[in-house]
Amino acid sequence: MISLDKVQPSYLEKEKIERSQIWNEQLQISKGERIQIVAPSGSGKTSFIHFLYGLRNDFNGNISIDGKQLKNFSAEDFAAIRSSVCSIIFQDLRLFPDHTVFENINIKRVLNPFHGEERIKEMAARLGIENKLSKLARTCSYGEQQRVAIIRALQQPFDFILMDEPYSNLDENNRMIAMELIEEEAKKRNAAIVLADLKRLEFYKADRIIYL
Amino acid sequence: MEPIKKTKLSFRTIAPFLNIGQNNTSRFFSYAGLAIGVLLLLCSVQMYININQLLKDKNPRKNGFDFIAITKNITDQNMGNDNRFNDADLKELQSKPFIKDAAPLISNQFRAKVSAGDIIPFSTDLFLESLKNDFIDTVPPSFSWQPGQQEVPIIFSADFLEMYNIFAPAQGLPQLSGTSAGMVTIFLECYGPGGIQKYKARIVALSDRINSVLVPEEFLKWANREYGNAPNPPAARIYLKTVDANNPELLDFLQQKNYRVNKDKTKFGRVKQVLQAVVTGLGGFAILVILLAMMLFSFYLQLMIARSKDNLQLLLTLGYSPGWLSKTVAKKWIPAYTIIIIVALCLTQLLQWLFQGIALNNRDELSPLIHISVIALAALLWLLCILVNYRLIRKLLYRL
Repeated sequence: MISLDKVQPSYLEKEKIERSQIWNEQLQISKGERIQIVAPSGSGKTSFIHFLYGLRNDFNGNISIDGKQLKNFSAEDFAAIRSSVCSIIFQDLRLFPDHTVFENINIKRVLNPFHGEERIKEMAARLGIENKLSKLARTCSYGEQQRVAIIRALQQPFDFILMDEPYSNLDENNRMIAMELIEEEAKKRNAAIVLADLKRLEFYKADRIIYL
Repeated sequence: MEPIKKTKLSFRTIAPFLNIGQNNTSRFFSYAGLAIGVLLLLCSVQMYININQLLKDKNPRKNGFDFIAITKNITDQNMGNDNRFNDADLKELQSKPFIKDAAPLISNQFRAKVSAGDIIPFSTDLFLESLKNDFIDTVPPSFSWQPGQQEVPIIFSADFLEMYNIFAPAQGLPQLSGTSAGMVTIFLECYGPGGIQKYKARIVALSDRINSVLVPEEFLKWANREYGNAPNPPAARIYLKTVDANNPELLDFLQQKNYRVNKDKTKFGRVKQVLQAVVTGLGGFAILVILLAMMLFSFYLQLMIARSKDNLQLLLTLGYSPGWLSKTVAKKWIPAYTIIIIVALCLTQLLQWLFQGIALNNRDELSPLIHISVIALAALLWLLCILVNYRLIRKLLYRL
């Protein structure tokens, strides 16, 4: 379980914190839950995802995963969490631009594999990028790169998958296919989906919608 | 669900994400520097051991101390005076920090005559001396005497025996080996106011260090009182026990006091000291070369990590452990270090073999094989290189 106890970014304006259902509140996210965070621009959506993943710690209050406070985590603890508890799809994707699509996905898979190598091809085919596997990531369109980031996030075991505007560059059809794949994979792991976007996504049937 | 085939994570997994192939020039220069430095250091240590081995027998050291005899310098000006050491001289010597101990060589204050019976028809007046046992290089348990004892043990100078063997044939006397000298019964006659007292004497040991005929201190003190009526005579020679006979402070002091040192006994010490200083200097230079090579290699590593910074950061973000990354990246250079150290060790062995075989013409005192401590040092350097390399990479990665 992820618990947030009166978390607020140290740099955010007071009125934005007061309006939020997350900042300075108590919040729990349990395994298996489907959560949508609706967050307008500038409300701290990416910060929130980065706080949960341990990339930033410029906040007040406490965040804990399975009872352990993130602020007490060492670099090794974060590595363990990232390889087996929390998976992520970054808004800025964070791919290795000079490596192939396959290498980008497989480098995550070999760290702590949940699937065999052949599943990469199956997922790529499902999201329509199977012919891009041998191409360098930087030669792919942003939409294709977004699908690479989605497939990469699904290669490891996880209890929580954190997604920061994961479909911003996908068309409606591809959004639905990708969402379906993510939901399938989350179900296999009984994992929670935490999807943060600028507006509510109709095709995502969330258990809870929280406004940031 | 099918079991997943796990790939073992290794350097090969992450190698494509690191820019290790770049800046090869500085990498190879650092390898070459390290090889030269290690070779120099190993050779210096081996040469240091060789010097000790070759000059071991010539070194008059015992239990880590040098023993030297001093006398007062006899010149034309002072030859009429009593040039013996008095108690104040002895106390002054004993008080100096660079002198561990000082003991007088007490001489006989009565007439002493020795003869060797019928087997060796030879007799001569002789001087006897005694010295604290601590200062004598060879003291057998039988070297003691108490009043009433008829046999007096003698420690004889090996140099004197050599001199005897030189003139003995011309005088029709038999030459004697060290062992046979110990079997000859000697008659010692001590002349005193009450007449002549005869003792049996036997050579119980030969001394390389002390040019004298030594009898137990107890005997000479007793005999000087009994026959010479001089219980505490001043000594003409004093033996010094010192950590280093070539200590400049000691030599300055002796020169200032106009004392004469038996230079033969310290000559090899000086040669050895100079050679050791040269080799130590070479060793110091070698350590400097190793440090420079390691610095160059650390620049290469820093550059490699700086160039791969984005990829390394992303690997850490994806969940790769910084500890595992440090170990795995550091391991990459273990084969290079191993080869460098083994090559340097083999070259040291080759040079030692050539030195012993060609320069020393296969002399037995020196082994053609390198000393075990040189191998231990090579192993230590290998470990040190790996450890320094690992710590550096770890530091750089944790800083990302």
